[in-house]
Amino acid sequence: MTSTEARKGDVPALELDALTKTFNETRAADGVSLAVPRGTMLGLVGPNGAGKTTSLSMAVGLLRPDSGTARVLGVDVWTDPVEAKRHLGVLPDGLSLPERLTAGELLDYWGRLRGLGRDLTRTRAKELLQVLELDRAERDGVLVAEYSTGMRKKIGLATALLHAPQVLVLDEPYEAVDPVSARVLTAILRRFTDGGGTVVISSHVMALVEQLTDRVSIIADGRVLADGTLGEVRGTDATLEDTFVRLVGAREVGEGDLAWLSS
Amino acid sequence: MVELLIRLKFTLGRHTTGGTRWLTVILLVGGTAATWFLAVAAASDAVRSNLLMLALAVWAGSWILGPTITNGVGVLRSQYFTLLPLDRNRVGMGLLVTMFVGFGPAMTLVSAAALAWHAYASDPATLFLGLLGMLALVVFSVSLGRLVFRALGAAMHSRIGMEIASVQWGLIVAGLFFGWVAVQPAFVAAGNLTEQGLGGTAATVLSVLPTSWPVLAVDAAASGSWAVAFAWLGAFASLTVVTVLVTGRLLAPSVSTRGVRRRSRPLGSRVLEGRRSWLPDTPLGAVVGKELRSWWRDPWRGLELRSALYAGLFIGLLGLLTDIPQVMLFSGVFAVLIMGMGGANMYGHDGTALWLTVVGQGRDTLREEVRGRQIAIAVLIAPLATLLSAAAIVVSGEYWAAPYVLACLLVFVGVSNGLAALLSVVTVTPGVDPHKRVDANDTGDNQTQVWIMMLAVPLLSSPTLAVLVWGAFQGSPWWSVPVALLNGVPVAWLLGRIAYRRLERRLPETFTRIRYGKEIARQSLPTNGGGLLDQLERGALATNEEIKPTGS
Repeated sequence: MTSTEARKGDVPALELDALTKTFNETRAADGVSLAVPRGTMLGLVGPNGAGKTTSLSMAVGLLRPDSGTARVLGVDVWTDPVEAKRHLGVLPDGLSLPERLTAGELLDYWGRLRGLGRDLTRTRAKELLQVLELDRAERDGVLVAEYSTGMRKKIGLATALLHAPQVLVLDEPYEAVDPVSARVLTAILRRFTDGGGTVVISSHVMALVEQLTDRVSIIADGRVLADGTLGEVRGTDATLEDTFVRLVGAREVGEGDLAWLSS
Repeated sequence: MVELLIRLKFTLGRHTTGGTRWLTVILLVGGTAATWFLAVAAASDAVRSNLLMLALAVWAGSWILGPTITNGVGVLRSQYFTLLPLDRNRVGMGLLVTMFVGFGPAMTLVSAAALAWHAYASDPATLFLGLLGMLALVVFSVSLGRLVFRALGAAMHSRIGMEIASVQWGLIVAGLFFGWVAVQPAFVAAGNLTEQGLGGTAATVLSVLPTSWPVLAVDAAASGSWAVAFAWLGAFASLTVVTVLVTGRLLAPSVSTRGVRRRSRPLGSRVLEGRRSWLPDTPLGAVVGKELRSWWRDPWRGLELRSALYAGLFIGLLGLLTDIPQVMLFSGVFAVLIMGMGGANMYGHDGTALWLTVVGQGRDTLREEVRGRQIAIAVLIAPLATLLSAAAIVVSGEYWAAPYVLACLLVFVGVSNGLAALLSVVTVTPGVDPHKRVDANDTGDNQTQVWIMMLAVPLLSSPTLAVLVWGAFQGSPWWSVPVALLNGVPVAWLLGRIAYRRLERRLPETFTRIRYGKEIARQSLPTNGGGLLDQLERGALATNEEIKPTGS
């Protein structure tokens, strides 16, 4: 099926199909399957080490799965990576960038590598830097290596958006981002989904996911424990956090635990 | 605290796999055996004193160069302890103490004990001086090693520091590749070393070195001048204390900001952009621009480029000093070869930044990615190397060398460029991720690449070299120039092609190698057999050291 036909039909924007990965006998992802409809925002939540990053890495072509596959708008990421990646925008967590470029130079390189041409790249890059409030650092000639963690997130996001993808996969996009920039980020993502785009974000922060996304998946020990609209997943629980704790299990802090903290 | 740090060091050490560890052990044991052989076999007290000075200087020298050459990064990095409510200088001192635990310091102690033996053999009454000197020598050598290593790391944060580090590194590389020429005369005379000692200028130079002061103290005491003896030992002890204090200060966790706010646009920003950019508006142009900027601005890449040029220059100067002046004419050729080795781990240098290439993969982007890097290295090294050799030829007036130098430059620029691209992909070895780098050798280990280069460059250049030799005998050396062109360019093109084809097939695996470390990377390779490239990759996994924290 070609991508054009796929987009006409009722094909999920992003589909994770039984993705499995084992690292040194530890099963980081164990048959992870998800289907994200077009125009929605999915929050992928789970405790540390649950397999969120591993699953997303396999979904965007960064990590080859032991078995299973992923599809972007019906195009298989692992058999037709070039076509699938055209529609994808990705923000990984905590990785390096070409550190000795300024944000503007990085976007210039990135846009032209993606075949956007110099003029279109420059127009978009300028606007992105302005909206993400990186324009001042750019004027000062600050290199990416000198950026703070939050600024690194923002320039990473700019690289994910530059080629106007249809599906965004963002690993911990809100981490270390200041409240003002977080509002900007939310506005960008809302505009993106309103325009028919699809977003997948991973996060530890339940309140954020609850407030932002319309679908949610809970993942723990490499397995999907719940997946659906926010209402479906939450069910009768008061908050998403309650559902999360019920499914994942939590160690309650007993009366006598850590008594020394209050001494 | 010190005990805890030592335990932490061992715990971290257990999780690190080392390929070169055995070589280091062999060198240490061999060095210790040689030191004791010299001490025991020496014909007289005077000769023993002389030889001990030599041995102790070599030990201190090894401590200075060893950690940088062997990627022996201290596993305990001072920034781990930044947030602890401890005095920074105390942490620094604690870290310095952990440096004394290990096989290297132990062997140094055993070797330095030869001084105690020297004292006992000269006059048993001086034994305690020998023992004190022995302890001070170990403290001095180990601290000095850390001091130089950290100073080099600190230097990476300023341009002038990087320049100094490049000169130092260039000297090291020149010494490694060409040092035998300088050492050779000494060894020719070394047949009766244990009979007569070194003698001459070497002995005079040696006796001035601080590591010789404890030996001089013992000698003075043995001849009855106790005041002089205490003066020598006191001087050495004071120097040791100063070294320890400075090193402790350098090892203390740094709390200064990462980057220096610049006053002007970063280097190269004007040349490559603007309306009239030098580079074409294509993916290839984009990659070349990114690479050139990175080579100009990244201190770690700058170190590779500059030290290649300095090494070429120093090899030439070594040639001049040792009466082989023709070597100077080929200094540019050496620079090209060393740059090839420095560029043979480009993806390791860039660390996890490869994710951009993975998620931005287009129809031909991997080809452009590899070709762009090849063009950038050639643009950087070829003119500078040519200039270096051309200057030497013009200054010396030795114009006969022109065809030889030109042919070598042409063929080696091509061959080492192709090999650099190929090895960067196949034997990629990550170091500390670029945005977390501190020390000068935080980039990935590239010893496998260096060895392969040393074998493969002559092999792949053999047509040109054959014609060069033939031409020399026939009196028509210019024939080798077109042959060099026909040899170098296709090899660069072909190896580059193999490199991007490999990258196209194993792009996620290459990223996995960088992101998740060698244990996980091994899973994607056949355990034996496979093609030549698989074998090369397995070789690098088995040999190159992992200086990157593993896991995600």
